[in-house]
Amino acid sequence: MGDPIRSNMRRQFLKTAAAACTSLLIPGNVGAFAKKETLRLGYLPITDATPLLVAHGLGYFSEEGLAVERPVMVRSWKILTESFLADKFNLTHMLFPIPIWMRFKQKIPVKVLAWDHTNGSAITVKGDSDIYNFKDLAGKQIAVPSWYSMHNLILQMGIRSQGLKPVIKPQSARLAKDEVNLFILSPPDMPPALLGNKIDGYIVADPFNALAENKFNARIMRFTGDIWKNHPCCVIVANENFINKNTILMQKAMNAIVRAQDWCMNNPKETAYLLSRDGEGYLPFSKNILSKVFETPKKDQVLHPQWNVARIGFQPFPFPSATRFIIDQMRQTLVEGDTRFLEKLDTLKAADDLVENTFVIKALDKIGGMNRFCNCNMSQPYTRQEVIEIN
Amino acid sequence: MKSINRFIYKDPKQVGLNAVFGNRNFGWKYELLGLLGFVCLWVIVSSFIFTRPEFAHFKGFLPGPTFKALWASAQESKFWISVFASLKRILIGIFLAGFMGVPIGILVGFYPKLRSLSYSPIQFVRMISPLSWMPIALLLFASFESAVYFLIVMATICPIILNTTIGVLNINPQWIKMALNQGASNVQLIKTIVIPASFPYMLTSLRLALGVAWIVLVPAEFLGVSSGLGYLINDARDTMEYDKLMAMIIAIGILGFALDRIIQRLQHAFSWSWNE
Repeated sequence: MGDPIRSNMRRQFLKTAAAACTSLLIPGNVGAFAKKETLRLGYLPITDATPLLVAHGLGYFSEEGLAVERPVMVRSWKILTESFLADKFNLTHMLFPIPIWMRFKQKIPVKVLAWDHTNGSAITVKGDSDIYNFKDLAGKQIAVPSWYSMHNLILQMGIRSQGLKPVIKPQSARLAKDEVNLFILSPPDMPPALLGNKIDGYIVADPFNALAENKFNARIMRFTGDIWKNHPCCVIVANENFINKNTILMQKAMNAIVRAQDWCMNNPKETAYLLSRDGEGYLPFSKNILSKVFETPKKDQVLHPQWNVARIGFQPFPFPSATRFIIDQMRQTLVEGDTRFLEKLDTLKAADDLVENTFVIKALDKIGGMNRFCNCNMSQPYTRQEVIEIN
Repeated sequence: MKSINRFIYKDPKQVGLNAVFGNRNFGWKYELLGLLGFVCLWVIVSSFIFTRPEFAHFKGFLPGPTFKALWASAQESKFWISVFASLKRILIGIFLAGFMGVPIGILVGFYPKLRSLSYSPIQFVRMISPLSWMPIALLLFASFESAVYFLIVMATICPIILNTTIGVLNINPQWIKMALNQGASNVQLIKTIVIPASFPYMLTSLRLALGVAWIVLVPAEFLGVSSGLGYLINDARDTMEYDKLMAMIIAIGILGFALDRIIQRLQHAFSWSWNE
């Protein structure tokens, strides 16, 4: 890893140099380097951003003594990652496969600090659709938000489990009987595309499932948490160099986030209100739509009621078993672009290298340990068995 | 109805871009009639399409819900903050583009060598969607706000340069010859003849830039800004509230029209060109 890191430092230097030059051009930015490091949070308008927004909304960051700006909303994963690389944000949420791709393919020193939330996504189809199970997806067109997403990963797990084949083809191409065509669509375009019969279904984070349910009685085919019990989805990430330079800031930020997750879990209604445009206006959605996301799913919407999972759950500890499982699954997941970096990856080492869990463990200790978040085996709170059942 | 060919000899102002973007007022009757016709077209087409039962969720595109949403928005401070934010971005962006583009346009128009040199780069840059610059904008500029300005500048600078150049090339050659006969230097030529004579074209270039700037604004407000009409359009798309989306489209139309009219008035005040 010696070489890539060095070239990374060079890139870092170029970036700093570029930033320094522009700061000469743009008045008002000159003093920025001398200032105390502030927390700059970025997010997308989805409920995946909840813990960051709630920690800001309830003033938890400020209570930790951190200088923090109001989190900045951007509209696509591309802009979020680009802004993160350009150092506009120093702490943000990302779909788990994105930092894996960034660290091991692009050699960007990004670290996963904690899980942002669990579950929180679903496969949505039209209300009158004949799709009830994964095997019904044969010959259908399904939209995913990004190739490097948990959604693509879990969807393809489901498709393969039924002996079907995920393919990436033009929408006009003929599909074989056992093929499911996947393509990228940005989340806001998914509900109207489904309504206009351009696609047969989509898998995406809430509230774009709740929105479709609410607006035109779309049906949830399956919650992702009903496939893989309490799976991670978005994770909290930061740049490794930034973490090393600002360990105290990172610890305080993590304390605030874990505290916020605890609050969200116990106050779902208030969380929905706080995020909505009726409350603090972090998300453009109304309280009604967001409340649906924070409600427990109805019994007839889930296949594993005994799992007792929330539609969106909160649990910060990054269980290594899940990280390894995701890396292994990514090898089998069809995406567009070069995936050879995954072949060379040693799952165990990569999972270790990607995740920095010291901050979240300290934060958990501070709030009273893992039992705030789960009824886990307290003799070994930091390990778990991944439960996956696809029907 | 008179055709342009017969018209042209009586009124040379009707030639080229100036026929549309000149200082000539078309008369309020025609303007109103055109607008009414356009609204009628919207009413007819949308009521054919969006009243069908399968499009029930897209009813927002109909004029009724649109104007209701526009009225409701006008009561909210968020809307006015957004109007102000978007106007500010457009004006600053065009100002910066004009600040750079107009001098370049004058020089390119004045020096034939420079014109040959700049031809290929300008044609090259002109074709690139300004949104492809987004990652560069994010990397180079300290704030999201300045990244938005950068995108607007990238979109508007080419029409400004090109139209200013055309303005310089359209100066009555007799004037230049006369000045040269009297021993004018290049600087004197530019200062006393080129700049004043091509001024109407510069204003025309700003009017062209205005349209382009609004086009880029909506996707540029995908970036991390927290207000703006493009931002509200994105919000409306996120939440499937198409009446609000249409309301913002109407608002942009009205603002664009008003800005264009202001520059047109300016043009009127400074109208001196050989065809006057």
